[in-house]
Amino acid sequence: MPNSKASDLVMIDRRVTLKWLMGAMAAGQLAACGDGAKGVTWAEMEAIKAKGYGTDPDFNNTAAPWPLTMTQAELVAASSLADIILPADGDYPAPSKLGVPAFINEWVSAPYPDQHRDRVLIINGLAWLDQESRARSGAIFASADTAAQKALLDEIAYRDRVKPGLEKPAEFFSRFRSLTLGAYYTTPAGWTEIGYVGNQPGTGDYPGPTPEAAAHIRAVIEGMGLKYTAP
Amino acid sequence: MTPDEPHDAVVVGSGAGGAMAAWVLTRAGASVLMLEAGRDYSPDESPMLNMAMDAPLRGVGTPDKRFGYYDATVDGGWDMPGEPYTMAEGSEFMWWRSRMLGGRTNHWARNSFRMGPYDFKPRTRDGLGVDWPVTYDDMAPWYDKTEKLVGVYGSNDGLENHPNSGPGVLHTPPKFRVWETFLKAGGDAINIPVVAARRAILTKQIDERSPCYWASACGRGCSIGAAFQTTTSLIPWAKATGKLTIATGAMVYEVMLDATGKATGVRYIDKATGSHKEAKGRVVVVAASTGETARILLNSKPNGRSEGLANSSGQVGRNLMDTVGSNISAYFPQLEGRPRYNEDGAMGLHAYIPFWDYKRIQNGEVDTPRGYHVEIGGSFGDPGMGVGSGLDGYGSSLRADVKRRYGSRIGFTQRGEMIPNANSYCSIDTETKDKFGIPVLKFNFAWSDHELKQVKHFQTSMKELIDKLGGTLVSEPDEPAKAISKGGEIIHEVGTCRMGSDARESVTNQFGKTWDVDNLYLTDGSVFASKAHKNPTITIMALAMRSADNIATRLRTGEL
Ligand SMILES: Cc1cc2nc3c(=O)[nH]c(=O)nc-3n(C[C@H](O)[C@H](O)[C@H](O)COP(=O)(O)OP(=O)(O)OC[C@H]3O[C@@H](n4cnc5c(N)ncnc54)[C@H](O)[C@@H]3O)c2cc1C
Ligand code: SF4
Repeated sequence: MPNSKASDLVMIDRRVTLKWLMGAMAAGQLAACGDGAKGVTWAEMEAIKAKGYGTDPDFNNTAAPWPLTMTQAELVAASSLADIILPADGDYPAPSKLGVPAFINEWVSAPYPDQHRDRVLIINGLAWLDQESRARSGAIFASADTAAQKALLDEIAYRDRVKPGLEKPAEFFSRFRSLTLGAYYTTPAGWTEIGYVGNQPGTGDYPGPTPEAAAHIRAVIEGMGLKYTAP
Repeated sequence: MTPDEPHDAVVVGSGAGGAMAAWVLTRAGASVLMLEAGRDYSPDESPMLNMAMDAPLRGVGTPDKRFGYYDATVDGGWDMPGEPYTMAEGSEFMWWRSRMLGGRTNHWARNSFRMGPYDFKPRTRDGLGVDWPVTYDDMAPWYDKTEKLVGVYGSNDGLENHPNSGPGVLHTPPKFRVWETFLKAGGDAINIPVVAARRAILTKQIDERSPCYWASACGRGCSIGAAFQTTTSLIPWAKATGKLTIATGAMVYEVMLDATGKATGVRYIDKATGSHKEAKGRVVVVAASTGETARILLNSKPNGRSEGLANSSGQVGRNLMDTVGSNISAYFPQLEGRPRYNEDGAMGLHAYIPFWDYKRIQNGEVDTPRGYHVEIGGSFGDPGMGVGSGLDGYGSSLRADVKRRYGSRIGFTQRGEMIPNANSYCSIDTETKDKFGIPVLKFNFAWSDHELKQVKHFQTSMKELIDKLGGTLVSEPDEPAKAISKGGEIIHEVGTCRMGSDARESVTNQFGKTWDVDNLYLTDGSVFASKAHKNPTITIMALAMRSADNIATRLRTGEL
């Protein structure tokens, strides 16, 4: 994060800590406080009561009708995590430039059961990320240096190499990664990068594979000793 | 005409069965009142080319819209507020309703496989279930007429129990995509057929409807008319005769009889005002969908008869069947990183795997009596929220993995035949009423060993095919009892008022006419005597066309 924002972050971070403290008190978990990231209880959260879009939504007005609920600090953490998951690469911008954090906010704020489950995981997970980062390097995740961020993620990001005891953070990370990838590759930039060239109405017969695509699969099939039938 | 005036025919429901009956009857000159519980709907509302990105939650399904934000279903789904159904202890059943003009035809997948000669005479072949009162040969001309009217793409491959259509009936199917060609190569090597699918989609212009333009998921509805739905075809055509009156928001709850036992019409609740109304006609046609048709009959208690209407056989609500469903999916390293091109095509199936193992069943070499087909899905599709599934790690290697993996996964979906059994039926739950005060349905459902063994056959065969093509399973399939779909989940429920040739064992004759009431007809999936693995809707429509033709003749001759 640029230095100019560091003071904002600290302030916002304190608010999150406060919120977490209140949650922990309510859950009777106060004894765990002050113990670094181990204090995150992954506690159940109250369900969001806002209205959904209903069974007959208006397609001319497709904005999600529910209020957004993430705090600034949570958004900062989400944004920095998303950008490490899919770092900017040449023509392809970082997720934060494509509205991915805002999408995560819309997602965890939605009044539906699947999204509620994700909300518990993600809001707790983001708090965990900041507290763990603080406990290790004194800085919240977004302000930690790249090496520290990666050292932390390496313990939770690989299915077969999760550090014992960090199963819950790993579950959070995996879900966050899915949401980030889903949000990213559904944008026009994501389509271009992945190579999705559909959603284009055409006339006449469906053209089928390009000569290049057909030649490629023919070579694959024949390479396996199987018979190729032209489409 | 207005809904208050007596019509020649009262038709309940505007889906596949109701709209076909209404079209045939209006064309024959009869005046028809169509009563539809849902709201008026036009596919012009369809958000055809909208991006997932512009929908809340990237368009994923929610309790408000189970099949996604852009799905055509309005006011429907597995659960409808204020309109519950219940289940007997130990039974699980899922009931999909789409309460709108056109019903579930607005978003069905359009897969349209004719039943074959074996499918109409299953009991004759293996002693299980019952035979239909019609043969395939009786039905063949009606399939041809229906397919021609509806517009179905596919090819005539002359396969056992997968009949060809008549000359000039089918539209040319779209070309196979790369992954379908790949599957065919594997199938050819181990004698599992991969052939053109049949779907109710136009690939050439035949009337005011346009051919497929190769974009936009058909489940959103097809405003250009290429994917068949009654709201772009049968309903506007019936309206154009000047003989059709439609009342939407009309929730029918019983059929009325006169003293001689003839139906005089139906009673319904006008949802806008809450008032109870009567609709009168010389003939009553009920096509409110398999579950709802049984519900209306069971809730009609002429002269206090507790068993309900047209139920002297005791078969109303019985013999409830759904399609057997289960899934396997696999990654194919050979499909990784292949050259990009537009694979949207007709969005759904271009190819499928028809059932191929009839000979071994006949010879007793296979322990499951009935077949299935396999619907396959792959493609460089519109990347959705699942694009990252199965991936690991983070950083630039993750970016590379997303691209490498894209388009290399194929899903295999079993669609199999269920044999009717005594534990699967619906009845009226006398304790529970919906928000209109109408008693609701209670479902009992159980698969039998036949279906579980069929799941095993599917799993074994698909693993062989995947293996041949060097694929790796996304996950090892569960045991059949866990892998099999829930009753109703495949949304092919049929059979609650089966047709037959014996009034003691069936509810209707071969024309959907109830044995007990001479001017009461059923033209939806409720009349199915068996549930072949073929998706039911093209058969619902072919039967409805044939039954409505019978009604039209009887109206003309004054018999009705
Ligand atoms: C997502 C999806 C995909 C599918 N894909 C396929 C496929 O590929 N191939 C296939 O063959 N089938 C498919 N089906 C199944 C297919 O939609 C049904 O078989 C078909 O629509 C049944 O026709 P129907 O006329 O019996 O009922 P419906 O189409 O459901 O129509 C019944 C109508 O009656 C109305 N109604 C209900 N109750 C009342 C009442 N009390 N009073 C007045 N009106 C009432 C309803 O609102 C509805 O409009 C699919 C279904 C779904 C949901
Ligand atoms: S794929 Fe073709 S048939 Fe399906 S909705 Fe699009 S245009 Fe219509």
